Amino acid sequence: MRADYIRIYKSVHTWTGILAGMALFIAFYAGALTVFKEPLRRWSTPPAALVQPIPLDDVQPLIVQTLKTTPEAVRRGVTLRLEGGQAIPRLDWQVRAAGADDHDASATRHYSAMLAADGGVQVREAPPSRLVEFIDVLHRVVGLPTDSDPHRWIMGVICVLYLVALVSGVVVLLPSLVKDFFALRVGRNKKRMWLDAHNVVGIVSLPFHIVMALSAVVFAWHDQIYAVQDRLIHQGQWSQGLARPQGGPDFMRGFMPERDPARMLPPSRLVQAARAAAPGFEPTGLQYLQVTGLRPVVRVWGQNPQGIAPRALGGFAAIDPYTGDVQSTDFLPGAQNTPNLVISSFFALHMASFGGAVVPWLYFLLGLAGAWLFYSGNLLWVESRRKAQRKGGALPVQRRDTALMAAATVGVCVGCMAGISLTLAAAKWLPGRVSDMAAWHMGVYYTVFFASLVFAFWRGAARAAAPLLWLAAACTLAVPASSLLGWLLPASGAWADGASLGVDLTATAGALALAWMARATARRVQGGAQDSVWSAGNATTKSEEKQAVALTQ
Amino acid sequence: MPAATKPTADKPAIRTDWLSKTLAGLLLGLSLALIASGLLMARLDGMPLPVSGQLAMWLVPPVWLLVLSLVYFFRSGLRAWAWLLAANALALGLWWWLR
Repeated sequence: MRADYIRIYKSVHTWTGILAGMALFIAFYAGALTVFKEPLRRWSTPPAALVQPIPLDDVQPLIVQTLKTTPEAVRRGVTLRLEGGQAIPRLDWQVRAAGADDHDASATRHYSAMLAADGGVQVREAPPSRLVEFIDVLHRVVGLPTDSDPHRWIMGVICVLYLVALVSGVVVLLPSLVKDFFALRVGRNKKRMWLDAHNVVGIVSLPFHIVMALSAVVFAWHDQIYAVQDRLIHQGQWSQGLARPQGGPDFMRGFMPERDPARMLPPSRLVQAARAAAPGFEPTGLQYLQVTGLRPVVRVWGQNPQGIAPRALGGFAAIDPYTGDVQSTDFLPGAQNTPNLVISSFFALHMASFGGAVVPWLYFLLGLAGAWLFYSGNLLWVESRRKAQRKGGALPVQRRDTALMAAATVGVCVGCMAGISLTLAAAKWLPGRVSDMAAWHMGVYYTVFFASLVFAFWRGAARAAAPLLWLAAACTLAVPASSLLGWLLPASGAWADGASLGVDLTATAGALALAWMARATARRVQGGAQDSVWSAGNATTKSEEKQAVALTQ
Repeated sequence: MPAATKPTADKPAIRTDWLSKTLAGLLLGLSLALIASGLLMARLDGMPLPVSGQLAMWLVPPVWLLVLSLVYFFRSGLRAWAWLLAANALALGLWWWLR
């Protein structure tokens, strides 16, 4: 390939990477954690809020009573969770504020119904642990606080830059790929080593990144693409199809008798029908929709390691709750036709909802490696833009933009890790002490994040990096420490849960890794080559010029 | 791509033309992607719309962003516009013919 192309694509890679890098770091770090949403949810839910499961069909009275007495529950659809072949005797539903964005989870109110001792239905508002949703929002809209339309457009632009950065990076690397790929030159030239590592991680995880970039663009702009296609290609049929009311034409309502929920089949029969429809399918929940209307349906949600699940939660069989007939297997992992399987696989490849237990761990590691890819990319940009030290000469004064970029990279990336860890740990201390959990989780995260950013700009990248990495290690260690303290001192209000021990162990490993990074960085800042962004230099006097030098080194 | 010629210092063989190439990739890449999704819809005639419509939507970002990513290989912004307009016209003609 001609050198011209390499040069042009190097510029493309540099600028797209610089513009998108830090936002993508947050998206990938938070996204890696989002893979383990359910363990994190379990870890952060107070034991008092956990309901013990009972035999499957014993929940039928609760289902019937709730659907008979609570019109809102019928309208919104209620969900029953299954656990180990039994059912959690509680029905959940959500009410979205009128006019709220349909992706904005913070505008949704959660309700649950349980049977009281006297046999009546007890409905109460049950705000779930907001922690997992908050981390998911950080992941989805690259670190912004709410999942709204404008924020998703920003995310979409970032993802376009991300894909262009991927392709251009490959173009730049292609000519020397064979030579460079297996060459991880560990040695004195630290910059060369970082570049080699950046290339190896980028090429090895390239398919993962292409999948992420393309699917994220779809997640950002599917509404707009559908709208344009509807006008140009589908002649308006797409929006008409969506507008069709789910419960049948309204004018028939007065003439048709309402269906009686008491005549629905018990959960065990519905679960059985779903299992029969797809071998290997393991139900995890039942969602009752429009069950008194003209088109009653129960979605039996679940996972199937042998299939491809269209959503992070898994997939579902649509079953008529009165007859047990399977109405649709379009979303049932293991029983889809080819076109639906193709569409599901786009989702599954993004959300790791396929292949059983190994794939989530693989995605977790690929996500962390991706975050590192953006961190290293930014720092390579800084290193290659520094004015080099002439042989025997003094260290030159560095340009302001490279200094600011280095500080921003360290502040945003390490601040994001520290913030997420601390807001995670806070989940064990906030319940019972504050009322608005969502605001507190957000507040803890952004306080740590912005404080880290300010600190990085104040001290400069080199001097801030090690202290911030120690902070991140400490915040991450606070996660297992909270569980341990809860176990030793139940009076503290925190708690330990054997079922989510994996979260504590993973956080411990993460804290150790961060501490190792902090030590390595500190050593490089003190003893490494002075002509580097990773050197605190020997600026001991406090003259203004020396300060400027320190900022850039 | 045209055969490689040695670029000389006074006359670079490939113009960068950042703005016009980027715009060509963004606009003509998107229109090409939408037409491509129309072609796909024409091929998926027998499939129910809720399914084929989703497939057609998923086709748009890859085509669009592949064009945008590779647009800098054109030797100038003008060539990028000319070739991509031609590709759009060709695809549009094919679509009309299929319908």
